[in-house]
Amino acid sequence: MNRVVRFLKSILLIDLIKGMRVTLRYAPQPAFTFQYPAERRPVAARFRGILRLQVEPETGAPTCIVCDQCAKVCPDDLIALGGHREPGQKIKILDYFDFNLSRCSFCGLCAEVCPTRPIKALIMSEDYELGSYTRDRQVLRIDEMYDGLPIENYVR
Amino acid sequence: MGTLEHRFDDNLITTKLDTVLTWARENSLWPLGFGLACCAIEMMAASASRYDIARFGSEVFRASPRQADLLIVAGTVTKKMAPVLRRLYDQMPEPKWVISMGACSNAGGPFPTYSVLQGVDKIVPVDVYVSGCPPRPEALLYGLMRLQDKIRRESTVLRRKQVIKLGATEPVPAGEDTA
Repeated sequence: MNRVVRFLKSILLIDLIKGMRVTLRYAPQPAFTFQYPAERRPVAARFRGILRLQVEPETGAPTCIVCDQCAKVCPDDLIALGGHREPGQKIKILDYFDFNLSRCSFCGLCAEVCPTRPIKALIMSEDYELGSYTRDRQVLRIDEMYDGLPIENYVR
Repeated sequence: MGTLEHRFDDNLITTKLDTVLTWARENSLWPLGFGLACCAIEMMAASASRYDIARFGSEVFRASPRQADLLIVAGTVTKKMAPVLRRLYDQMPEPKWVISMGACSNAGGPFPTYSVLQGVDKIVPVDVYVSGCPPRPEALLYGLMRLQDKIRRESTVLRRKQVIKLGATEPVPAGEDTA
């Protein structure tokens, strides 16, 4: 009796139909592929992208006060910055800001300790499209820190 | 295309063989599945249906280096793994490209230690470095697009500017053949 049932099951493809029922139950779904270069997903509110220096929105003046806290807190020593003080002035002016992107693990400690208020001089931006053809290009200089890494075109 | 252009009917296109070959190459990059750490999870996510790396023609993750064009080094390369990586790269047929994905394979990442290779470019020639820790799937797709851009601008016959001759230590310009 048992053998007959098994034979009938295999002839009538019962198990296959059972499996296909599960498959077909999930089949009528809209496609959820992101057409990435054309359509981009908004990042989460706490997303940490590449490090970026900010300026005052109204005047365009740099906000960094060269306190060196970000360079001190970085676990991989990726930030090197320096500035000078004009004679008679109390505040320092940022001269160079070298950020070695290649090792950065985007922990956000540097942006967290940045003390300038209300505009933070150093933020983790929402920019994640980072790619370069050489390793030298991954050390960002001060001008790239304000605008972000430009899209590089390959030259032969 | 010079003298041949507009000489035929409207439904006939003339082009360079070089352009066609580069076009075919850039749109069928078959990666070698070489995931070593958390970056591999993002690489798998890029190949799954949400991001769908198949839209760029590189969905076929090969398990064998002999069928692959592209080596995506995704993760921390330890010094124990480095000879294996080099051997797999050597087994891949030309033309071949390398994407270094993530901070660990770019420069060693947060592991400046004795056991971790400080940058995969010490053992294989890297074409595109994708930054991130780990990079989002979109960032990997961006790196792939940058690589396609590079392949598009390169010629089919790879012209090397400098070569190192067998037994020599210094590179010489590729045109100056004496042997």
